[in-house]
Amino acid sequence: MVSAVWKLESARITAALVRLVRDVGAAEELAQDAMVAALEQWPAAGIPDNPAAWLTTVARRRAVDRIRRAEREERRQAVLARELETTEPGDGRRGGTDEGDGDEPADILRLLLLTCHPSLPTQARIALTLRLLGGLTPEEIARDLLLDTTTVTRRIAEGKRLLALQRVDFTAAPAPEELGERIGAALEVVYLVFNEGYAATSGEDLIRPDLCLTALRLGRLLARLAPREPEAQALVALMELQASRQAARTGPDGEPVQLHEQNRGRWDPLLIRRGFEAMLRARDLLAARRSTGERAGQPGPYLLQAAIAVCHAQAPTAEETDWLQIAALYQALAHLLPTPVVQLNRAVAVGRAHGPQAGLDLVDALHLEPTLQDYHLLPSVRADLLLRLGRTAEAQTEFRRAAGLTRNDAERTFLLRRADVLGIATSGPELGAAADAFLAQAGLDASSRRSYAQTLRRLRTGLGDTAALAQVTADQIARVFHTAWGEAAPATWNRHRAALRSFCAWAGHAALADAVPRRTAPATAHRSAPTGPELRALLRDLAIPARDRALWRVLLESGATVTAVLALDVEDLDLPRDRARSGRAFVCWRPETTLLVSELTERRARGPLFLSARRPAPARTPADAADLCPETGRRRLSYERAEFLFKQASRRIDPAGRGFTLRVLRTGT
Amino acid sequence: MRYLMTARSTETTPAPDEKLFTEMAAFVEEMTAAGILLATGGLAPEGVRLVSRGDELTVTDGPFAEAKEAVAGFALVEVGSKEEAVELARRFRRIVGDGESIVQQVFGP
Repeated sequence: MVSAVWKLESARITAALVRLVRDVGAAEELAQDAMVAALEQWPAAGIPDNPAAWLTTVARRRAVDRIRRAEREERRQAVLARELETTEPGDGRRGGTDEGDGDEPADILRLLLLTCHPSLPTQARIALTLRLLGGLTPEEIARDLLLDTTTVTRRIAEGKRLLALQRVDFTAAPAPEELGERIGAALEVVYLVFNEGYAATSGEDLIRPDLCLTALRLGRLLARLAPREPEAQALVALMELQASRQAARTGPDGEPVQLHEQNRGRWDPLLIRRGFEAMLRARDLLAARRSTGERAGQPGPYLLQAAIAVCHAQAPTAEETDWLQIAALYQALAHLLPTPVVQLNRAVAVGRAHGPQAGLDLVDALHLEPTLQDYHLLPSVRADLLLRLGRTAEAQTEFRRAAGLTRNDAERTFLLRRADVLGIATSGPELGAAADAFLAQAGLDASSRRSYAQTLRRLRTGLGDTAALAQVTADQIARVFHTAWGEAAPATWNRHRAALRSFCAWAGHAALADAVPRRTAPATAHRSAPTGPELRALLRDLAIPARDRALWRVLLESGATVTAVLALDVEDLDLPRDRARSGRAFVCWRPETTLLVSELTERRARGPLFLSARRPAPARTPADAADLCPETGRRRLSYERAEFLFKQASRRIDPAGRGFTLRVLRTGT
Repeated sequence: MRYLMTARSTETTPAPDEKLFTEMAAFVEEMTAAGILLATGGLAPEGVRLVSRGDELTVTDGPFAEAKEAVAGFALVEVGSKEEAVELARRFRRIVGDGESIVQQVFGP
């Protein structure tokens, strides 16, 4: 009973507490205390008339006690001063009634945007959101996400720790120009939670309804709190429509049933209706934006995905699906979200709308995509298209390859059945068996065997274990090599190539041995930019002066020009909002960078933000007084010097040993 | 999981007034927006009764003698547990006053 009330009420109770104590961790503790009190008192005293109000009152009373205690200890006087100043005059009801403040929705929205803060790692965002807004215990979260409780507890603690570092304003809403982006981050978290429940990637069940329900609740909450945001409504529509197919998505043995084969009579009409309603609201909001000429008047990714779901829901039978419309929507979506998975879905739609060959052309363009090389849906989509083109033998191979890649038992059985139905007997030895025999040779030493096995494993997942060796082509092998090792060093490439040649010679397919050329020069010309991880490691190197790291991070995160950033003055800073004014625009950075930037301003109220390390000799005093710090007498850091320092520092991440120019930061890697 | 809540009036059930309508409207709106309330409505006291026995089907027009025990309203809710459904029914009863509610899990579709 206590936990049921808690699930329904925790978001608003915690949100109000966060505002009162201005600390997410403390608010969570207070809320927990209230729940423990309920667990102790309700069984004896009986369930109160209004359990939610009871919990709120107890938690608030404890929060006020806590603040008073802090006051006595004179540790948090400043906080209290602010508290009194901002709440007393306009909010005389505080503490007097059990009801929430008039600002309750704003409190909850603020908390939701906080737990979905872009500066937190995704996993911490999910855990913290489920904990504080979903009202789930760490045990429940662990069960839903198939993790152990310790991991979840750690993620929650990490999230709270990072939030504490943010020095966020717990009473103000984000700046309008930031709000859209922050809501986007929250929508992302909600959809991740939904997908984890809807398309369980591992485990026994294909669907975990509890998680879907939690995501739907969070989505609806967000849509209510941000009523002018079309994407929030669209996400609700998308989730309702997907959830409406839940019962039809699995067959009697738990195997997945593809959309076009689902029994539409099992789709839930109530959820479909609610999805349509949310979609209409999203469209109205978008139309309203367009008519007022607001920016962002274009449909966002959730609206497009919801529109696709609407097309499916409107079709009385699979055959009557409006594939032309769906293909067009996918094209628009691929424009916004050009991910391989979206491209693959687009290929399916195009295959239905414009014929299997058109679909196959799109799929084949994805074949070199490294992120898809282990994705079972790529060969399975390809198999479907090949089958419709009458290329049965190839389709069979692709079905088997897909079966080898999926991690879900029910799905594997299903794919193998589809392959077997095609009933083509393979002639000659199969790749998997041949590879096993090759590796089992007596003459191989252990290290060669390990190395060869690595190459062959990639070849087997790429071509399928059951591919007939006699039918493997040089092109197919070249494709696997390019996908797997296209970016690798020449030595790696050549090692795999040697393994391939050795295997081909053994198997008597000498023609295939030359499928891939030897590489001598580096695979690509000198890299003009370092990779993201290399840059991030450099920016975290504490041996580098804070000034330089701050400059680099601001450049990387803001995308502003080097000249504009070096021209910033201390007076331009707006640290609470993680930005600085630059002319009529703002240079914005991520909240964690603010800590670093604030270090540079210590005890200075004006003058250049980035200073050179030394005082200029009298003869070299700059002509422009604005370039001299009035407090330290030091000069503004020059472009040349800044460039030199970055080159020096980035040498170690440049294979050519030359170092990079500051411009690589701006282009954002 | 889904639950159907049905409400019946009893002899002491008060007649609905303005306050009840306002509170109920706010409650329904909140629960709908939260995605909990899927469908709800009040039921007319009269109705048609169909009774089949063997091959015989009797159709009778209401109202019926035990009108007081007829279902007066229903709500279909989507919740995470039976306890959540009961808590919602509790809130509903606080608004409408005397009477009785029955909460049953719905299976399917």
